[in-house]
Amino acid sequence: MNNIVAEQPWLWAGLVAYLVATLVAMWGLSPRLAGVEGGVARQHEKVVLASISLGVLLLTIAIAVRWVRIGHGPWLNLFELLMSQLWSLGLIYALLYWRLPGLRPSAAIVMLVMWILGSWVLLLEPLPSHFPATYYNFWKWFHVGLGKVFLGLLLAGVGLAGVMILRRTERGRQWFRAMPTDAVIDRLAWRLMMLALVFDSLMLITGAVWAQDAWGRYWAWDALETSSFFTWLLLAVGLHVRLSFKLPPWLSGVIIISIFVLAFVTYFGIPYISPAAHKGMV
Amino acid sequence: MVRILQALASLKLTLAGMVLLGIGAALSYGNPVETSIWVLVAPMALLALNLAAAILTNPRINRQPGLLVFHVGLLGLVLLAGIGRLTHLDAHLEIAQGQSFRPELMMDVRKGPWHAGALDKVAFTQGRFTVDYAPQLRRGLTHSQVFVPQPDGTVLELDVGDDRPLVLERYRFYTTHNKGFAPLLTWIPHEGEAVTGLVHMPSYPLFEYKQDNRWTPPGTEEDIKFWLQLDTGLTLEDSWVLDGRNSRGVLVVTSGDQRIELKPGEEAQLPHGRLRFERLTTWMGYRVFYDPTIQWLFFVSVAGVFGLGHFFWKRLSLVAWTDDDKGPDSKGGTA
Repeated sequence: MNNIVAEQPWLWAGLVAYLVATLVAMWGLSPRLAGVEGGVARQHEKVVLASISLGVLLLTIAIAVRWVRIGHGPWLNLFELLMSQLWSLGLIYALLYWRLPGLRPSAAIVMLVMWILGSWVLLLEPLPSHFPATYYNFWKWFHVGLGKVFLGLLLAGVGLAGVMILRRTERGRQWFRAMPTDAVIDRLAWRLMMLALVFDSLMLITGAVWAQDAWGRYWAWDALETSSFFTWLLLAVGLHVRLSFKLPPWLSGVIIISIFVLAFVTYFGIPYISPAAHKGMV
Repeated sequence: MVRILQALASLKLTLAGMVLLGIGAALSYGNPVETSIWVLVAPMALLALNLAAAILTNPRINRQPGLLVFHVGLLGLVLLAGIGRLTHLDAHLEIAQGQSFRPELMMDVRKGPWHAGALDKVAFTQGRFTVDYAPQLRRGLTHSQVFVPQPDGTVLELDVGDDRPLVLERYRFYTTHNKGFAPLLTWIPHEGEAVTGLVHMPSYPLFEYKQDNRWTPPGTEEDIKFWLQLDTGLTLEDSWVLDGRNSRGVLVVTSGDQRIELKPGEEAQLPHGRLRFERLTTWMGYRVFYDPTIQWLFFVSVAGVFGLGHFFWKRLSLVAWTDDDKGPDSKGGTA
């Protein structure tokens, strides 16, 4: 590895805070807490929330330091994208965790998913990126911001989906004993999916406006556009399937996780394997 | 009739339409020429029919203003996208410094059968341009100067480039990575009148190693080859600005066994006449886009999404998010 650059210590510190949140959230599922009086049994949730919030703060500093160092925001290469998503997913999940106590035990799943990004970013060199002319456009702020909210809502949905699937086992039922019934979790998860659809739609619209400005066409079925359309369509299909059929909770969870996987590939895979203009380097 | 409408409004038909649309989208990936537009139009038409029937018959949709706005918005999008395809124009344009736009300069023109834009009213003259490059030839901002005549007889100078298109009569001209040099030549035949014209060299710096072209003078079979030796200050290691004002060129002219190097202002005697290299100029490549529906697409889609947001907001606030399993919709099937 090359010399340590200015943002890395802040990034690592943020990841340590996320690690603490992950471990404490997992500890909170411990059977030893079963039967403990509710208030006491949920005290660890404050530590989880505080750790995620601290992680977000440290990642904010990491992003700001990098911004100053290379002269532009975290828009382009995979290192920047992962760091930026770790920040925004942490922020959105912290807000949901704070406002929706019913989903808190699912943080153990959510934070583990976050660690896919956390481990990945540690493997990457913090190389500076080139800021292309098309990125001066102010629509990128809306497009990227809405996309972050969309992915954050999907991530929270994945936590609930994971609970519904794991509860098919005795151990899963034990871990998530403090959560509401599957029907309530299912309803909450799909509410998050509904909101995700709104933000996904707005992300596509603002992306189309940006594409029109940047490349002179609003939609051209390039790799990222096609993949993001599939994500939107799968989300819409999921919502309509749920309206059309009575789904068992585990299947509901599988659908939500499938949507997330597709969105994840769209975000972190397609832009870096496709030669399309969306790669951002043109 | 009502039964037919209800059957058409089926959610299962919606799902089938969505699956077909997904297949159509997969087939449309990369806009392959061999893929028919019908792979998208057919499922969209099916979904539009399904949606129209649902709007008419399904109280879940037509009694919920937000959901109604969203679904009508989706229908509107399909219609507008269709109108857009019928009326659009897409083309490429290479225009040299000092040259005035003429529709005949456009290349690769693709337009819908109902295209009726006022292309003949589009008037501008290309000025000079600059393109910034970061080290390792990573392209930065493009500044292209254009002169647009105004109704009062004055000329408006505009700086366009990248995400700042030149918009005239709803035609949008976007600069592209495609730009380069063009020697201005005068051909003086042994008999007949002299003609002056431009030979566009390949895109620069993309084809920096291959700045050549060929031309056959009118009324002859003489194959004249041109090779432009450029000095633009291009460097890989440092930042660099592509600017015609800082560029010099020597034109190597080859005809048969003859090989002549010309500097601007010099001329050469060739078998069928004289060729004068007047000066070196530049050309800019534009993407030309016309679609009268784009603003409407934006407004309709945003209105639709806000309708959906309104519906969800009302729906989500009906019951607590994490209440006990006793709510009115706790059995699944609705949200």
